[in-house]
Amino acid sequence: MTKALFARVLPLAALLYATAPYAAEPTSSQPASTQTASSETARGDAKAGRALVYTCGGCHGVPGYENAYPHYHVPRIAGQNHDYLVAALTAYKKGERAHPTMRAQGESLSEQDIANIAAYLSSLTP
Amino acid sequence: MKKTIVLLIACSFSAAAFGAASEPLEKIKEKAKTCAACHGEDGNATANGMYPRLAGQYHDYLAQALHEYKSGERKNAIMAGFVSTLTEAEIQGLSDYYGAMPGKLDDLAHHEQGSD
Repeated sequence: MTKALFARVLPLAALLYATAPYAAEPTSSQPASTQTASSETARGDAKAGRALVYTCGGCHGVPGYENAYPHYHVPRIAGQNHDYLVAALTAYKKGERAHPTMRAQGESLSEQDIANIAAYLSSLTP
Repeated sequence: MKKTIVLLIACSFSAAAFGAASEPLEKIKEKAKTCAACHGEDGNATANGMYPRLAGQYHDYLAQALHEYKSGERKNAIMAGFVSTLTEAEIQGLSDYYGAMPGKLDDLAHHEQGSD
């Protein structure tokens, strides 16, 4: 019974996921916390992401590399969760997160680029 | 005399440094139960990809993120609510606690372009 229900619901759910980014384009009036990342929607291409991530290595690729003013380590992003990476990069792209370098990077990325980067980074294991 | 002054200054600096992170581990573990609901007991947040992994992240980056949620520079209603209840010492304690946990997070250096 449960299996049969799943079989019927799953394709519908997949369709919803696939169309969600177009249907639920977040508007600027929505607070950041209620926005859901494009997540499963536009599952990126990890291979394409790998090429894009070349730029990230300048800061995130140097173990112990530190941000200046304020002073803290640039975060470890390899192996981070997919949807969180999408949400964070999208927030930088929209100017909802303030870090100047990351905002500039975010602005240069398309939604597909972000999906690709998230797919690659989340696939990494130490 | 000069040595004594230098020693006194050094002591006051170290006292200030330790003062911020002197919460007992038991208290931090108690506070961390709230975080565990989304970020996982082991800080690896595997249940839902929306929540970041904290285990093995740089402790000072975690503290920076918590400060940004507290100041409103980073906007997230859920995190803002939690962080508003934290003292500076608790922010440092939780950051150290999760930063020291083993996890999947890594620097990109070990994943140069063209390798996995």
